[in-house]
This record gives sequence, structure tokens and C-alpha cells, in this order.
Amino acid sequence: MRRHLLALTVLAGTLAAAPRAEANPLDTFGFGSRGTAMGGAQAADVSDYSAGYYNPAGLARARGVEIGIGYFRVDHFLKTNGNDNHVDPVKGLVGGVVVPGKLLGIPFAFGLALHLPDDRISRVRALRQEQPRWELFDNRNQRLYLAANVAVSPWPWLQLGGGLSFMSSTEGRLDITGSANIFNAQQSQLRHEVDATLTAVRYPQVGARIALGKRAALALVYRGQFSLALDLRARLYGDISQLTTAYYALQSDSVNAFLPQQVVFGSSWEPVDHVRVNADLTWVQWSAYVAPVAHLDVDLSIPPPQGGWPAGITPPSKPTSTAIEPLTLHDRVIPHVGVEWQFLDLPHWQAFARGGYEYSKTPFPAQSGLTNYIDRDRHSFSLGAGVRWVHPGEVLAGDVRLDVHAQWSVLPEQITTKTDPADLVGDYSAGGHLWNVGLSTAVGF
Amino acid sequence: MLGAAVLSLVARAEASPEDILGYGARSSAMAGTGAALANDYEAAYTGPALLSRIRTPRLSLGLQEAVFDLHARGEGLPDRVSVLPAKGVLIGVDLPLPFGGVLKDRVSGALAFYTPTDVIVRGRILYPETPQFPLLPDRTQCLAIRLGVGADLGYGFRVGAGFAALAEIVGSVLVATDATGRVGSRVEDQLVATYAPIASVSYEHAAGPGTLRVGATVRGSLDARFAVSIDATKLSSLNIPVFNIAGLAQYDPLEVAAEIGWENAAWHLAAGFTVKHWSAYPGAIEPTILCPSDTPDCGALQPTHLEFHDTVVPRAAVERTVPLSKSASLSVRGGYFFEPTPAPSSLATSYAYDIGARGLVPVPTRFFDASRHVLTAGLGLRLTKPLVLTVDAYAQLHVLHPRTVTLESSAPELATTADLSGTVLATGFVVGVGF
Repeated sequence: MRRHLLALTVLAGTLAAAPRAEANPLDTFGFGSRGTAMGGAQAADVSDYSAGYYNPAGLARARGVEIGIGYFRVDHFLKTNGNDNHVDPVKGLVGGVVVPGKLLGIPFAFGLALHLPDDRISRVRALRQEQPRWELFDNRNQRLYLAANVAVSPWPWLQLGGGLSFMSSTEGRLDITGSANIFNAQQSQLRHEVDATLTAVRYPQVGARIALGKRAALALVYRGQFSLALDLRARLYGDISQLTTAYYALQSDSVNAFLPQQVVFGSSWEPVDHVRVNADLTWVQWSAYVAPVAHLDVDLSIPPPQGGWPAGITPPSKPTSTAIEPLTLHDRVIPHVGVEWQFLDLPHWQAFARGGYEYSKTPFPAQSGLTNYIDRDRHSFSLGAGVRWVHPGEVLAGDVRLDVHAQWSVLPEQITTKTDPADLVGDYSAGGHLWNVGLSTAVGF
Repeated sequence: MLGAAVLSLVARAEASPEDILGYGARSSAMAGTGAALANDYEAAYTGPALLSRIRTPRLSLGLQEAVFDLHARGEGLPDRVSVLPAKGVLIGVDLPLPFGGVLKDRVSGALAFYTPTDVIVRGRILYPETPQFPLLPDRTQCLAIRLGVGADLGYGFRVGAGFAALAEIVGSVLVATDATGRVGSRVEDQLVATYAPIASVSYEHAAGPGTLRVGATVRGSLDARFAVSIDATKLSSLNIPVFNIAGLAQYDPLEVAAEIGWENAAWHLAAGFTVKHWSAYPGAIEPTILCPSDTPDCGALQPTHLEFHDTVVPRAAVERTVPLSKSASLSVRGGYFFEPTPAPSSLATSYAYDIGARGLVPVPTRFFDASRHVLTAGLGLRLTKPLVLTVDAYAQLHVLHPRTVTLESSAPELATTADLSGTVLATGFVVGVGF
């Protein structure tokens, strides 16, 4: 009974905690070198800090306290019409901690997982809908991932886990008053007031793992829906070089970094000693996607001064609001497969070779109309290696691990054809490839 | 080496709720002390050296709330200054690192979080004539993430280091009209991490029936800005400037805390002081129009800068622990600290453009703050069977020392005054489970 209660408490607590959810760079590039090298097929086979992303239930399989840290870098070579689009690289630290123990006699573990980008915690960007952009790579992967999870193992064959990931949305109100000098802008007598808030966004993830004997396991993971909002209000009220009084109000609302909810079905099998084969299927509800286009409302009132405007100055007229084109994406099932071969098994040293593959079919419809959300099917091939130093000495009774990975993703070039021959952007070809390299190290106590 | 590595990270930054209320239920109940007494995740803020006293893993979760009742009386003042209460969640992780050999039971770490329930950071930079207590309510609306490691060097010496992390906002809004006459925008907003180092050292020695310990902690300064540029210069042929919407959303000064404590199984006593380097405070608001670097006095309106001064905060606290049974004990805690205000008693005039007068007019600067007398109290229950469970609760009453500040104007005879008073009531509890 105690085991049921504890397991239910963990699940209920995590399910009830937060309304919406989820991660971005890790979905695309994996978390930790072992997981990336195995094509992201980890849900039924993970037991280190990366369980904080792949399957929180795996934390309960940790054998001791573990601290891990690593680094990865992804460079994009994405082109339209043969020209490089200079999509920013994704790079930063990955790491985490796992603290196992026993609670009421039942194996229990707490874990933290972190991806900290080099340049920023997150970036929210709202562009005009007509502007071509690599929608899944241009900006959405520029963000932090931080998750806290707990897990229990009420029976040796069952692990349950769940937790929360954290991010923030931005709301800001700006007010500018005074006098704008249109003859010498730097002599404007303006001042401002700000009320800006980073609003906490928490989203849940839960997972289960069932061992089918010593050589096989199944897993089920749920990751919730998530998005970042950027809402700005700006107001300018004042006079213009003592000619007239102007009122200008801008309201910009946008949703960024939207990640749909996901369900992962994972499996892991050790057909022979020292060889492990993993396969995951991830269902992604892309149909709930929200286009990252700002809803922009501008209110402008500048009555003409007595005697009219000075020569050469044409005041802006009140703009009309932009109609947002609807965007409907398709749900997708993404297969991941990975293989690990332990080719060295000495009393103090172990070594591994790994490989993996992932196929991600684009969820975007053909961009034949006004919008230009560029994306292509993605085939990702990965390789990796790892060494494990077991019981290094009296000071450290656990182990030290070092893993490396390299992943090559190719997006076959295709031509986007516009239905309107007068389209401002016109037809274009797009495609390219990505390189993802990194390493991870972990110390187990 | 660890300390040097942490100190070499970034020289500035960090969070405020713990600077006002303390961190954790035990430290907050004991007047914010801890540099010589902490024994769990709270030491990630009060003194990382004492993280080395952690022996078992523990996960702690708690809630905290502060209610503000702040008053400013005088000409044109509203009496009660309305502010929202600050509510947040505390998360602490005790993390012993189970080395063997010479490092056995000598190294431990901790993670300490405080997150407001509704916001991560709130940056309010109001017009100076708006009555406000900028050093109190908004500074509690801020996420705090702390990580620390402590080591027992032997011979009574312990050292520790860590860092705190916070986010600041950098962004841009570009509004322009395209060739077809339609208005479009490009909005970009980045959260950029800022870090603040923390380091501490302690020394302990047997003294009578207990242990005497001295500790010192250095915490780096906070500097979390809000900076968004708005560029509408391509909206028309009007030559309007680029707006620099910027200011300091959160700020904690560089701090040095020194403390002496004595403890045995029944009593814990602590006394100390914290020096806060408020004189480095750069001011909350920045000019809306930035002058070129080669013309620093280009004629744009400049905000008034207030000169803050350094402060010293004395603290004293006591804890009495009584056993309830073989597996349970109860602790009663109390303390007092005095937080002097760093703000000047005479506030220089600000200026604003008046459309009716078609020129700059003086406006009062109403950035209020007053010294606080803070009484703290708390209870702690500890069980060791059937599981390791701790329940700690605290309450703090901050009483603003009545103060009259002068609001300067363009002429001395036009100066007015403001009488400041008020209270802050903070409460919280934390439940910890060892595993």
C-alpha cells in the first residue's frame, strides 16, 4: 500500500502542478552525448541525468549520486536559392545531477537537468509573416532547458517519474512622454516609465518504465505543450518640436517557441551480451502550433500644425492592422533508433561505440501562399563513443564517464512554388544540412 | 581552486528576496544569520562553507509571502502606497558528495531556489514623481537560483563558494512602413543570464560544552537591467529619435557578512553584521534618448541620480532545541536585525517636459525608503522516524523607522516633505524530506 501511495503521489503531484508544457533544443538535437549518439532513442534505457529530459522515470535506476556536465554545438548550413541563410548556431552547456536514496524504504530519486545556451537564456523573435525564415531552426532552439524531476521504483520492474520544466514569458508596458525634436532628435526632452514582468511558465512531464526481464524494457513518456509569450505595450505622448501634439500607441502580442505536446513510446532490447538496441516513436501534436507572428496594433494621431508641416516632412498616416494568415501544421510520428556496443569490458575500464538515426518529416504544409515558414524533412545520422572508468580509487568508489558524439542532419533541397505569380518573395529552393558535435562527462559516486 | 573558478565567472549580479527576507525558514526566523550557523541548503546563500556540514540528501519545498503596508504622508502624497504582496516558492536540495578516503564526509553541495508564484522578475521603473518604495516590494519579485559547494579542510576550517543566477531582458522593437505602405514590425526579446559569485570561510573550535564558530561571507552585487530599444525612425519622414527604454530592474549591492556563533545540542546563538556597498548603486532609470559618446551632454533629458551610502546591518539570533521523543525534536527561534536605509534624506529634483508650459518643469523625486527594525521568530520540528522529515515555519515583522525626507524643488522655499512609515509582514514554511 505504501508503494502505491508514494507512486500515486508522485504522479498526481506532477500532473496537477502546471497547465502547459515543453522543451525545444533537446527535441531537435538530443540531451547528452550518449542520447544524441543513439538517435535520441533513450526513453526505456536512460538512467543518468539525461533522464530529466528523456524519461524522468529513469532517475530511479541511478545507482548513486551523479553529477554530469557537457557541451555541444550545432552549426546550420541551411540555404535558400543556394545562399547561406546564416542561421545562428545552437551551443551551450548541458548537465545535471541525480540524487538517489530511499523514502519509506522505496527507491526514490531527485534529478535536475539543464541546458544553458552560451549567448542567452532565451530569445523571442516575432517577424512579419511574409519574411522567409527556417521556422524550426531560426530561433526556436535558442532557449534554456531547466527541469526538476522526482522518480520512484515501487517494484524492481517498474519506475515512475515526473516533474516540471521552467521558462518565462515577457510582458512589458512602456510609456514615453515629453517633447520629440524632429529637427535635432538628440535634443528631445523625453523620459520613460517601464513595468516589465517575466512571467513564470512551468510545464509537466511524466514517464514510466517497465522492465521485461533483464534484457528488455518498455517506456511511455508524456511531455506537455509549451509556448513563450511576448506582449509589449508602448505609448508615446508629447509634442513634436512645439508644432503639434502626437499620440502613438503600439501593442504587439506574439507567441514564440511553441512546442506541442508529445507522447513517446520507447523500447530497449539487449539481444546478446554487450549489444543494446533502442527504438522510440514520438508523437508530436504539431496541429496545435501557433504562428510566431506579432499581432500588431498601432494607433497614431498627429494633427497637422497651424500653417502645415515644414517642407520635406510627411507625417505617418494611421496604419491598418495586418491580417494574420492561418497556419495549420500536421501531427507527426518521429522514429528514433539507436545501437550501443560495449567492445571493451575490463575490471576497471569499459568502452562503447554507438550509432543512431532519426527521421523527422516536416509538419509544415507547402508554403505556396503569402507565408514563408521554411522547413524540410530531416534525416539525422549519429555516431558516438564512450569510456567508463570504474572505481578509480579510494576517493571515488563510483565511476567516471566520458562520451562524445557527432550528428549529421540532412534536409533535402526542394523547390517552393508560389501560386501567385506576383508574390513578393517568389519561388525558391531550400535545403541544407546541420552538424552537431559535443561531449559529456559524468562522475558517479 | 573552486573559489577562484567561481569568482572568475562574472563580477556582478543577483537576486533580492533573500537580501530583504533572508533565505529559508530557519535563517529567516533567525534574523538572516547563517554565516556561522547554517547546516543545510540555506548555506548556499548565508555561507557556502557550511554546506560541508550536510551529511544526508534532502529535498525541501516551501511557501513564503510578504505583505507590505507602506505609507508616505505629505503634500500631494496618497498616504498609503499601494503595492502587491510578494508570494513565492522555496526549493532546496541538500547534496552530500559521497567521496571516500581523505575526502569522506568533507564535501557537500546544495541548490537553492526561490521563485515568485506569478513572476520570475518584475522590473518597474516608474516616473520619479510617482510615490514608490523602490527598494522594498519589487525587489522581492525576483527569481533566485543559487548553487554552492563547501569543503571541510580540517583543523576547524571550512571554505565554500557558489554563484547566483538571474535573468535580464535585452530587446528591440523595429517598426517600419514597407514599399506598399503597410506597417510591419520586428520584435526581439532576449533573456540573458547574469551571475554573482559568493564565497565564504569559517573556523570552529570547541568552547565549553559546545562549539564556537566564526564565519564570513562575500556576495557579489546584483545588476539585472531591462533594455529595449524602439526604432520607429522608418515609420515616416519624421525625424524621431530611437527610444532607449532601459533601467535597472533588480539590484543588490556587494555585501560582506561576518558572524560569530555558538552551538550545542540545545542552544544555537549567533550575532554578526552585514556591510552593504550601496554607494555603488547606479540608479534605477536611464535616459530615454542616448547621447553620442562624443557628445555626452547633447541636450537630452537626463534622469536625476540619487547618491546612496553604504550601510551596516547588525543581527542577533537564538535557537533553543528541545527533544520531544527519541525521534523528534522541536526548535524555537527568534532574532532581530536593523536594516538602515541607504537612501538620502533629501531627494534632488527631477525634471519633466510639460506640454502646456512647452518646457521643462521640476517634479519631485519620490523614491522613498526608511530604515527597518525587524523582529523574527520561528518554529522547527524534526522527525527521524519513520522518515527524516523537517517542518520549519517563520514570521518576520519589519517596522519602518518613522522618517521625514525633503523633496527638493527648483527653489529651497518650494521644497516639501514626506513622512514615511509602515510595516512589512513576512511568513513562510518549508517541509523537507531526507532520503
